[in-house]
Amino acid sequence: MASVSFKDITKSFKDTPVLKGVSLDIEDHEFMVIVGPSGCGKTTLLRMLAGLEEVSSGEITIGGARVDGLPPSRREIAMVFQDYALYPHMTVEENMSFSLRLRKFPPAEIASRVAEAAGILQLGDLLKRMPRQLSGGQRQRVAIGRAIVRKPKVFLFDEPLSNLDAKLREEMRVEISKLYRRLNATILYVTHDQVEAMTLATRIAVMDRGVIQQVGAPMEVYRRPRNMFVAGFIGSPAMNLLPGRLSVSGGGVVFGNGSMELALPRGLLPEQEARDGREVVLGVRPENVAVESPAGDGLSDELKGELEARELLGHRENLYVKAGGTRLLAAMDRFFDRAPGSAVGLRLNYRDMHVFDKAGGLRLSA
Amino acid sequence: MHDGKRARGMKGTARNLLIHLAVIAAAFVCVYPLLRMFSVSLRPGDKLFSADLSLIPAGASFRAYSDLLRDTMFLRWLWNSLVITTATSFMGVSLASTAAYAFSRFRFPGRRSGMLLLLASQMIPAGMLILPLFLMIMKMGLMNTYLGMIIAYSVSSLPFSIWILKGYYDTIPRSLEEAALVDGTSRVGAFWRVVLPLSTPALSIAFLFNFTAAWNEYLVARVVLFSAKQYTWTLGLFELQGQYITQWGMFAAGSMLVTLPVLAVFLYSSKWLISGLTLGGIKG
Amino acid sequence: MPETLGSLGEVAWFVLLVAAGTAALEGYLYFHLRLFGRKWFLPVSLILFPALAVLACAPALGGQAAARLWPWFLAAEAAASAASRYLVKGRHYLPFMLLAPAFVGLALLLVYPFVFQAYLSFHDLKLSTVLMWKNTGRLPFAGITQYVKVFTTSPLSEVSFWALLVRTFVWTFTNVALHVAGGFVLALLLNNAIRFKGFYRTLLVVPWAMPQVVAVLAMRGEFHSQHGFINILLSRLADASPLLERLGVGPVQWLTDHPLLTCTLINVWLGIPFMMVVILGGLQSISSSYYDAAEIDGASYLQKLRYITIPLVKPVLMPAVTLGTVWTFNNINVIYLVTGQSGGTEQADILVSAIYKAAFTYNRYSYAAAFAMVVFAMLFAISAFYLRVFDAAKDER
Repeated sequence: MASVSFKDITKSFKDTPVLKGVSLDIEDHEFMVIVGPSGCGKTTLLRMLAGLEEVSSGEITIGGARVDGLPPSRREIAMVFQDYALYPHMTVEENMSFSLRLRKFPPAEIASRVAEAAGILQLGDLLKRMPRQLSGGQRQRVAIGRAIVRKPKVFLFDEPLSNLDAKLREEMRVEISKLYRRLNATILYVTHDQVEAMTLATRIAVMDRGVIQQVGAPMEVYRRPRNMFVAGFIGSPAMNLLPGRLSVSGGGVVFGNGSMELALPRGLLPEQEARDGREVVLGVRPENVAVESPAGDGLSDELKGELEARELLGHRENLYVKAGGTRLLAAMDRFFDRAPGSAVGLRLNYRDMHVFDKAGGLRLSA
Repeated sequence: MHDGKRARGMKGTARNLLIHLAVIAAAFVCVYPLLRMFSVSLRPGDKLFSADLSLIPAGASFRAYSDLLRDTMFLRWLWNSLVITTATSFMGVSLASTAAYAFSRFRFPGRRSGMLLLLASQMIPAGMLILPLFLMIMKMGLMNTYLGMIIAYSVSSLPFSIWILKGYYDTIPRSLEEAALVDGTSRVGAFWRVVLPLSTPALSIAFLFNFTAAWNEYLVARVVLFSAKQYTWTLGLFELQGQYITQWGMFAAGSMLVTLPVLAVFLYSSKWLISGLTLGGIKG
Repeated sequence: MPETLGSLGEVAWFVLLVAAGTAALEGYLYFHLRLFGRKWFLPVSLILFPALAVLACAPALGGQAAARLWPWFLAAEAAASAASRYLVKGRHYLPFMLLAPAFVGLALLLVYPFVFQAYLSFHDLKLSTVLMWKNTGRLPFAGITQYVKVFTTSPLSEVSFWALLVRTFVWTFTNVALHVAGGFVLALLLNNAIRFKGFYRTLLVVPWAMPQVVAVLAMRGEFHSQHGFINILLSRLADASPLLERLGVGPVQWLTDHPLLTCTLINVWLGIPFMMVVILGGLQSISSSYYDAAEIDGASYLQKLRYITIPLVKPVLMPAVTLGTVWTFNNINVIYLVTGQSGGTEQADILVSAIYKAAFTYNRYSYAAAFAMVVFAMLFAISAFYLRVFDAAKDER
C-alpha cells in the first residue's frame, strides 16, 4: 500500500482546460472518494493516476515515487472500470489471472491468489464461465476480483456502480465498504453520486469545473461546506439556498430578501464579515426547516408560508413551502396531513445554518 | 402461419401463388446456367453439342471429369491459384489489421488524408493499373512466376480490408485495452492480446474478401502468366472453353469443380460477407 | 510433387523477405521515433543507415555504382534524422509505426504504378521500344503526342474514342438501372411473408456467388449460336409455332451480331443479386408501423411504395448504386471474357476494356497509359462533381 499525491495538476484537451491546478494528497490506507457533477474532471484525474491520460503539467507520486510519464503497467495500480471491461474472450479465471500471467508469476501463486479473491467475492462457482454468461452484479465482482489479485499499491474505481440497478447498487456499496475494511488498501474512487461518497469514503474531495472545492471527512464536508457549490451538491435533498442581503443595526444582524426578514443569531457570522448591505446566500438543509413547530431554543422566529406541494416518501415527507417570493423545501420525518394551499409556519434551525458570500460563493459563517 | 393466410381468403392465396411463381421463375433463371453446366459435364463425348435440354443426359458419365484430371493440368492450376491466393490474403490481412488499428484508435496528423487516400484508391479502376504493374513485374524479371502474381495482388484489396477492420475495431470498447494496459501490457500488447483475438470475425471477413478477389482474378493473370504450367484455374478454364470447342465437356467439369466449393463457402459465410460489404459500401 | 514443393519454397522465401523488409522498416522507424533524444543518435544514424543503404543496393547495382550513391543516402538520412530529432520528436510514433507497412505497400504497388503510368503517357513505349527499355531503362520522350492520339486515332482497330465514350455511358446507365430495377422487384417479392424465403434467397444469389469467370464463360456458352440454351429455346419456339416464326423469333447470332446486348444481358444477370440483397436488407429494416400508419391513412400499395418504401430504402440504396456505378464503369471482366479471344469483336468494348486491349492485344503501352490517364481524369471529375452534389443534398436534409 502507498500514499498518492497530486501536485498542481493541469490538463487541457486542445484548448479546453479540464483540470486547473489540482493538488490532492491521499494517505496510505485511505478511502478517498472524488465526487462531482459530470464533466468536472474527476474521471480525468483518476485516469491520469492510472496512466491512461497524460498530464499537461504537474506531478503525480505514488508512495513518494514520481509516476507521471510511466506507462500504466509500471505504476502498480489496479482499476475497476465503469463498464467493467472484462475481456470477452477469456473466462472469469483467465480475466482475473491475466495480469499475473503477464508478470510471469509462478502458476501455484496465481492459482492461490485467484482462489483467495474468488473466496472473498464468492466467485468460486463462476471461474469457468465467460463474461457474457454473467449478470451485471457478477461482472462487477469479477472486475473487482481482477483488481484484488494484483495486490496493487492503489485501487482505482471509476464510477463502478453506475451501471447497476438501484437495489444491486446498494448491495455492492456495502460489499465495497466491507472489502475496504478487509483489504485496508489505499483506494481512489470516483463517482457522481454523493450518497456513495458519503457512505464509503474516509475522506471526500468535491470537484467542480476542474477545481477541487473541498476535501474532508464526509461529516465535516456535510456540516461545514466550504462554499455554495459543496453546500448544494452534498446532501439529499439539496440544501435550501436563499439569496438576500444583510442589514446590521446596533448589535443585531438581519437577513432579508424582500419577502422575508430573519434575525441571525450572534456568533453565526464573524464580526468582520457582517457588513451592512452585503449580498449573501443563506443555506439551510431541508431537515432543519421546522414546520408548525413551537418556538424553541436555537429556532428562528416563525415565517409565514403557504404549502405548495407535498411528496410522501413513506419514511418521510417533503413539503414545498412558499414564503413570500422564496420557495423552501422542508423534510419532515412524520406524516404532515395538510392540503396544498393551506398556510403553514416555518422556523429555521440556527444550529445548522450557513451563510455564503454571494459574489465568491465562499462560506462566511463560522 | 398457414391458418393466418387462409383467413385472408382467396385474394391472399392467389397473390401468394403469383409471388411464388414469380420468385421461382427468377430463381430458375439464376440457377439454370449452373444446372446446364452440370448436365453438359455429364454428357458423353459424342453428344456434347446435342440440343438436349434434359438435366441428366442419356448415357451420362463422369468421363469429362476423369479426362480433365488426367489430360489437363487442372489440379496444377488449382494448386497455383491456391498458393498465390493464400499468400496474398495473409499479407493483405496482416497489413490491414495494424493499419486499421491506427486509424481506429489514434488521432494523428495525416489521419484524415490517409483515409481519403484509401477511399480515392477505390475510385481508381483496377484495370487502369494493370499496365504499369505488368511493366514493373516484367522489369523485375518476375513474369510467369508466383511472386509476380502475389506482388500484383497483394495490395489490391488492402483499402477495403482496412475499412472493414477499422469499422469493427471501432465497436470494441476502449476500456478493454485500458484494462489490459493497467493489467500490465504495452499498447502493442493490448492490441495483440485483446483487440486481435476479439476481431476474429472481422479478420475472417477480410481474409475471405481478399481470398475471393484473388481467387477469381483473371485480367492480371492473363498478362503475367504465359506458360500453361503456371496458369491459375481462371486462365486454364478460359483456355479450355475458348480455344478448342471440343473441350466443352471438360470446361463444364472444371467449372463445376471450382464452383461448388466457392458456392458453399459463399453461402455459408454470406451473412458476414454481405454485412461487411454493405457496411463498407455505406461508409465508403 | 518436388516441383510444387519448390514453388512453396519460393513463396516462403518471399514471405520471409517481406517480413524482413517490414522488420527493417519498423526498426528504422523505431530508431528515429523513439531513440531520437539519445546523445549518440545523430552520429549512429548518419553512419549506419547510409552504409546499410549502400550495402543493400550493391547486389543490384554493383559495388561501384552503389558507393557513388553514398552522398545521396547521407543527405537523405541527415534530413530524416534532423526532422525526427527536432521536428517530430517522437510524437504519434505508434500510429505511424502501425501504418507504415501498409502505406509503404500502397505506395509501392498503387501510388508508384500510378505515377509510372503518368510517366509512360509522356513517353513512347511500344512493342519496338520495350526491349530497349527493359535493358537500359531509357525511353524516347514523346510529349503530349500520346494524348493527342487518344482523341484523334482509334484505340482499337474498329472504334474511335468518342464512340467508346458514348458506349461506356450507355453501358453504365443501362446496367445500373436494370440492376436496381431488377433488384428492387426481387427484393419486394422476397420481402413478403412467404414460405421457403431463405431457400429462394439462396438460389437467387447464385450468380453473385459463383466465381465470376465461370459465370461469364458459362453464360457465354448459353449465348452460343448453335449450342447455347437461348438459341435452342428460340428455335424450338419457332418450330412449334409458325406464328412466332413469322414474327421473327428464331436463332440469333448473339456473339457476333449483338455483342453489347449479350454482355449487358450477362452483366445484368450477374449484378442483380447484389442489389437485391442490399435492398432486401433496407426493406427489412423498415419498421412495419409505418405501413400500419399508412394503411390507416388509406394509402394504396403504390402509394405506400412511393411514400414509404422508396424514401426509406434510399439511404441504403445510394451507396450501393455509387459502388455499382463504379464497378460497371470499370467492368473489363465481362466484356473481355465474352469478346476477348483473338479475333473477337470490338463492338462491345467500353473505355476500360479498350485500354486493356490497346495495351495487351495491340501492345501500344504508352498510348494505353495516356488513354488511362484521360479516363482517370474523367472519373475524377465525375466523382468530384458527384460528391459535391451528394454533400449538398446531405446539407439540405
